[in-house]
Amino acid sequence: MLEKSADLVLGNGRIYTMNRKQPWASHVAVKGGRIVAIGDAASVAAFTGGSTRSVDLKGAMLMPGVVDVHAHLMMGGQAELFELRYASTSSFETIVEKVREKAASTKPGSWIIGGQWGSDLHGKLNSLEALAQLDAAAQGRPVMLRDDSYHNRWVNSEAMRLAGITRDTPDPDQGSIGRDPATGAPTGLMIESASGLVESVIANSGYYTEEMDRAAMAQSISTLNSYGVTAFLDAAAMQPILAALKGLDDRGELTAWSVSAMPAVEPSFMFGIAGDQLIALKEQYRSAHAKPDFVKVFLDGVPGAKTAAFHEPYATDPILGCCFRGSTLVTVPDLIRWVGKCEKLGLAVKIHCAGDAAVSQALDAIDVVRSFNGPTRLIHHIAHASYIAPGDIPRFAELGVAADLSPFLWYPTSFLEGHKQAMGVERALRFWPNKQLLAAGALLAGGSDWPVMPNPDPWNGIEGLVTRQNPTGEFAGEALWPEEAIDVATALEIFTINSARAIGLGETIGSIEIGKSADFIELDRNVLEIPADEIADIKVMTTWFEGRVVYERT
Amino acid sequence: MNEPDPTGGLVPVTILTGFLGSGKTTLLNRLLKEPSLAGAAVIVNEFGEIGLDHLLIEASEEQFQLLDNGCVCCTVRGDLVETLKTLRRRAAAGELPPLSRVVIETTGLADPAPILHTLIAEQELAGRYRVAGVITTVDAVNGPATLERHAEAAKQVAVADRLIITKADLVDGWTVDALQHRLAALAPAAERYLVADAALETLLDAETPGREDRIAAWFDKAVQSVQDHECGPACDHHDHDHGHHHDHGHHHGIQSYSFVIDEPVEWAAFATWLDYIAALKGEDLLRLKGLVCIAGDLERPLVLHGVQHVFHPPTRLGSWPSPDRRTRLVFIVRDIAREVIERTLVKFAGVRPAGAKAPERHAA
Repeated sequence: MLEKSADLVLGNGRIYTMNRKQPWASHVAVKGGRIVAIGDAASVAAFTGGSTRSVDLKGAMLMPGVVDVHAHLMMGGQAELFELRYASTSSFETIVEKVREKAASTKPGSWIIGGQWGSDLHGKLNSLEALAQLDAAAQGRPVMLRDDSYHNRWVNSEAMRLAGITRDTPDPDQGSIGRDPATGAPTGLMIESASGLVESVIANSGYYTEEMDRAAMAQSISTLNSYGVTAFLDAAAMQPILAALKGLDDRGELTAWSVSAMPAVEPSFMFGIAGDQLIALKEQYRSAHAKPDFVKVFLDGVPGAKTAAFHEPYATDPILGCCFRGSTLVTVPDLIRWVGKCEKLGLAVKIHCAGDAAVSQALDAIDVVRSFNGPTRLIHHIAHASYIAPGDIPRFAELGVAADLSPFLWYPTSFLEGHKQAMGVERALRFWPNKQLLAAGALLAGGSDWPVMPNPDPWNGIEGLVTRQNPTGEFAGEALWPEEAIDVATALEIFTINSARAIGLGETIGSIEIGKSADFIELDRNVLEIPADEIADIKVMTTWFEGRVVYERT
Repeated sequence: MNEPDPTGGLVPVTILTGFLGSGKTTLLNRLLKEPSLAGAAVIVNEFGEIGLDHLLIEASEEQFQLLDNGCVCCTVRGDLVETLKTLRRRAAAGELPPLSRVVIETTGLADPAPILHTLIAEQELAGRYRVAGVITTVDAVNGPATLERHAEAAKQVAVADRLIITKADLVDGWTVDALQHRLAALAPAAERYLVADAALETLLDAETPGREDRIAAWFDKAVQSVQDHECGPACDHHDHDHGHHHDHGHHHGIQSYSFVIDEPVEWAAFATWLDYIAALKGEDLLRLKGLVCIAGDLERPLVLHGVQHVFHPPTRLGSWPSPDRRTRLVFIVRDIAREVIERTLVKFAGVRPAGAKAPERHAA
């Protein structure tokens, strides 16, 4: 029957479907970008016709494309294409040396933008001596270096001059400028919203052109595809991002499902319209694979900079004193209004909560909304569900809230070192209670928070979920809260079907089932059969998006 | 009339509404002949049923027109807020007669709630005017069918303080009784009159500040009559397919219910709950009136009046207007289940309405 002929049949594979009712298969047939049959050779035989292209998987493992529940594509692509890169474990000296090398190839007067320095360098960078070394390396060029959380910046004197930052510049709301304790002179360390003082100068200078934006998005998506990612949620989608996604989809060049979270207020690291003004434009940026279905609310900052909101105080600090707990950026009633408004508009809310008090407040607000509004099909996210008061763990499932597990910090990292300094070792180590959340029935969804993770390789994250040890070999022999490790099969679900459900596409992607999008990845080994510490070495051989090859390893 | 002015000099505003052809213009014409209405300003929407008969002087370009009886008639061309501000300013400047009261005649299709909302929410207006009540006309001939067909008509009835049944002489007594029953179900707390029986001189003042005995009487009557029209515990509130044999006031999702709370209310928690309901259900909270016994100030109850997501600043009475010192809350809502109010009052305001279930365990 000609009309039944599939476009593509993948056969002789070890196909792990993520469908618990039929976990394994050997053959899958695709027509019009959708899965039409899954099973053994006999299951697809009826769909194989003259026009069907057959691919012999030769026993290779095939699984659904990975879904990244939290990434920042524009920044990821920009970082990859246009910026100075160095590891977040780089020493102060290495960073200064990298700037010196970059300055040699950068026109005088042009910006040097780079990242990401480790949160453990906050203290070192916050001094006039460090600033003098950065100035010397840059030889007059303005420099802005982002940290590993993407919330804070280290800039040089020329950058501060262009931004008009002097010792008389007051700290902005919800941010602070690092200062020399003796003279009050700015050190170049820009905390939270102070980053915007410099970022906005760069944005307004026309440094990033539309052409660069477009290239950055295209680059980001092809990077995602190379790691096997075929769907993502852009976690702070400003207008240029929405426009680029829609533009790419209109041209048939969007090779992943994209869900966008529009910021409720202008974030400290991106510029342009936000909130109601941006949300009002959502339908004009909607297309088959571009779905502006979320709103992003930043409820607090990050632990390393002591801007995350905690129930217990941070370690005593000469400036913040003995009892500083951080604070939230949005009140509970305002958060309630936002969630209520978004639900009316059919939008889910992704709430950034880095500290346990922020998590509690977000859950409180959602509890109020549920109490008045009753059940909803929308799934709100707590990002990044990492420091959580024990009593809050069951509330995720009770309230139908997804735990956005991102970035991949569930093993020892430079972030963790920064957290230890900020709040003491014992508390810092109670980070990512993934197994407890799972046992409590929460929907756990995996994400990279790229470029907070310098690349969005989910296999690094999946290995880390299983081992709680750093897959790169850094911090060798150390494990973070190993009791919270989870098994491989669950980790795979977290990065596929669970993330798909969390972003509202559970009926379309995330598993290999009839009717779903033909988004597959072929792996160089069987992830379920290898030692856990090899998972991060997995290579994606081929990525299919809607039945089309969008990446092939060469 | 000669008592000290308890209204703080605020100009009373009455909203006169009613569906197309329900007789509100006829009623307005009769009201305008009352001597007590001298100095009233009448605001009509220019797209409404302007038919002020002989009282209207020839149409002119002027927005404000002086009627024969000394009333000012104006049409709303921009928005109501501007019209009310201009009216006040021009009266103060002596360009119009002194303003004793305002009657706003809405179009037949108008939703009166946003008008109430404007009067309460707009700061400049709230300092000059007070809501004296909503009067809704319903005609006995077409009213039942109109209520069935048009959600706007049901809403006009639901938010009314006073319901005036017109054209009762054109139908039989049984039809009028059926309509009365239906209106009582939709707006149990509203006073109902046949137009022939209505005392025109006091009709416009449903709410009179300073008359605390009236407040008590209103709540006593409202709670009683709301309860008379509420479902019992066995009634399925989720049944929205308009049961034909029993009328629960589920007209277009509009219903009313009341709560009586025996224990004094902690104001901070209760105010939080008000904040939550205004934020999440404001659009469907057509009216909320409350007489609230506050813990820590048991002798001086608060009077609450909310329209959609806006609440009047609560008024504190000097003493209880009647021996009944329980908190009473009367709701007129659209598509808000009674259980939602009950559950959230228990959970967030920490109060237990009479008959409510014990609070469910709240996750830590």
